Amino acid sequence: MAIKTILIIEDDRFIGEMYVRSLKNAGYDVDWMVDGNDGLIAARNRPYDLMLLDVMLPERRGSEILQILRGGVDDLIPGTKVVVLTNFDQTEEARNNMEKHADGYLIKAEITPKKLLAIIEKLGASA
Amino acid sequence: MAVKSAAEGELLNRFWPRYRRVTMTRAVLAQLTVCVAIVAIVLTLYPDLPLDAWALVVVMSAASLALTVIITLLAMRPLKDLSSALVHIAGEPTGLTPPNLNDGFYMRSRLRPLLKQIYDLAMSQGSSPRSDEKSGAPYANIAAQLNHTATGIVMLDSNGQIIYANQSAPVLIDGNGKKSLELIFDVDQNITEWVAERGEHDVHAEKVWRRIANKLTGEPDRRLFDVYVSYDKGSEAETIITLFDNTNQYQPEDDDLDFIAFAAHELRGPITVIRGYLDSLNDELAAITTGDQKELFQRLIVSANRLSGYVNNILNASRFDRRHLKIHIGEQNVANIYATIADDMQLRASAQQRLLSVNIPANLPNIAADLNSMTEVFGNLIDNAIKYSNDGGSIEVIAAVNGNFVDVSVTDHGIGMPSNVIGNLFHKFYRSHRSRETVAGTGIGLYISKAIVESNGGKISVKSVEGRGSTFIVSLPIYATVADKLKALGNNNQDFIERSSDGWIKNHGAFRG
Repeated sequence: MAIKTILIIEDDRFIGEMYVRSLKNAGYDVDWMVDGNDGLIAARNRPYDLMLLDVMLPERRGSEILQILRGGVDDLIPGTKVVVLTNFDQTEEARNNMEKHADGYLIKAEITPKKLLAIIEKLGASA
Repeated sequence: MAVKSAAEGELLNRFWPRYRRVTMTRAVLAQLTVCVAIVAIVLTLYPDLPLDAWALVVVMSAASLALTVIITLLAMRPLKDLSSALVHIAGEPTGLTPPNLNDGFYMRSRLRPLLKQIYDLAMSQGSSPRSDEKSGAPYANIAAQLNHTATGIVMLDSNGQIIYANQSAPVLIDGNGKKSLELIFDVDQNITEWVAERGEHDVHAEKVWRRIANKLTGEPDRRLFDVYVSYDKGSEAETIITLFDNTNQYQPEDDDLDFIAFAAHELRGPITVIRGYLDSLNDELAAITTGDQKELFQRLIVSANRLSGYVNNILNASRFDRRHLKIHIGEQNVANIYATIADDMQLRASAQQRLLSVNIPANLPNIAADLNSMTEVFGNLIDNAIKYSNDGGSIEVIAAVNGNFVDVSVTDHGIGMPSNVIGNLFHKFYRSHRSRETVAGTGIGLYISKAIVESNGGKISVKSVEGRGSTFIVSLPIYATVADKLKALGNNNQDFIERSSDGWIKNHGAFRG
């Protein structure tokens, strides 16, 4: 399943715009939510192919969003791949908890838009 | 003098009170028996004895009883003094006052030469009797006095067991009464290992560890010591450890490090933006920028990448110092590890007019390593090679099998180092002689690189000639040689690292082979 639709949940405007810009230029259909609540609602309203999820978010943390969507009995977003993108230095435990429910866990400072595009392509190919 | 076991020591201490009790009881019982017998005989022979005569019998009996006690005590005194002197020189804790040679009694009774002989014997065996303070002898009660100093003093016997520790020494006592040093060594050998190695090679040796903590950052009563250790093979206290508490000097640096960890998170946001936008702009403007402008873009990108690397170093060092650095060891390929930083390294080299050549043979066996942290190590070493070499200089990265290890070497032909600075090279915040003036940096890159390599079960070493250049060699175990041990530790070997929060590097060496 190639990835076409992407939901970005990211509160930093510069970073959010950077991702939106390069992903749109690459031809993806991108929605961008700034706070955790809106992000959660968006994720449940539309079956995205991919969700890029920040951890430190207003209203609801990324870890909480992932727990709600993937931590219960049923996977609420079965068709969506999740990549956690954060600059926050989580505890090992918190990180493991998120990695368990995610398809990728990346440090934003290490990922340029070009690298992100390569990773998304790889994710789509592996599906 | 041979050190006695606790049981033996207790027997030494027990002799005198028991002997005195038994002897005194016998003497008094014998005397009472005699008195009772006399009374019985007198009663039989003279049933009508007057009252005053009875009083005389009672007084005489009491007097003889008292005399018996006094004479017995006097007779036993030399025995008491000899035994207390013996207990004393054996180093056992005792409630008895050790005999003072200058006491007149010993002169009169001619006991002095005997006591002196005991003390002389102890002295000739290298042990100082803890004599009475009042005696004024130079070795008077040293052990008690040492509790008044803020400097920790610990003595170990040839088995590495603590035979003495003063109150300032950071010593833990477990449930069985066994004492151990409460010190956390990070990258270097710890004292036990050092002493074990001395036992094989040296008769006398000394070593200094600096900035050694007794507790992890954030724990209460944390102290930071400079630890001086001297080793003297064959002496009773084979290893003597002196600990200078320099918490006041070191603590602020430590607090800084926690602050740095916080700041590093904040720094990552802007770095993300800078790297990201540069990446986009560099591509999008490629068609219209001139050669000159392209070079400026390269320098911007290289600088942003470096900044990101430094932030990672600082974060890792902070994690490492707080024992939060986690390593996930798995089967990795050197070429794959290098591939993740290859573009960045080539860019850095070319932006500074260095020639970076990489030779990683395709048939190299896989290694056991943590991918993420090892890329940072190689990035640090290559970055250093670029910094400490000259324009147009070449840098070679070469990987090759060496026994059970794969050696990855990074060689530059730059300024090099004199041999006397190499020993300090991997210490935190250490910057080599010339680098202070000529090259910017935190002095943390090699420190964290060594920590990471050793956490990976590997070794890092350096060869350098001043003015000719340096070679740093990272040796990592071939996966096949440690696979069994890694599997025995469970699939989830991160548990193993987390569990052993103090000294986990050492535990890690468990699979070193």
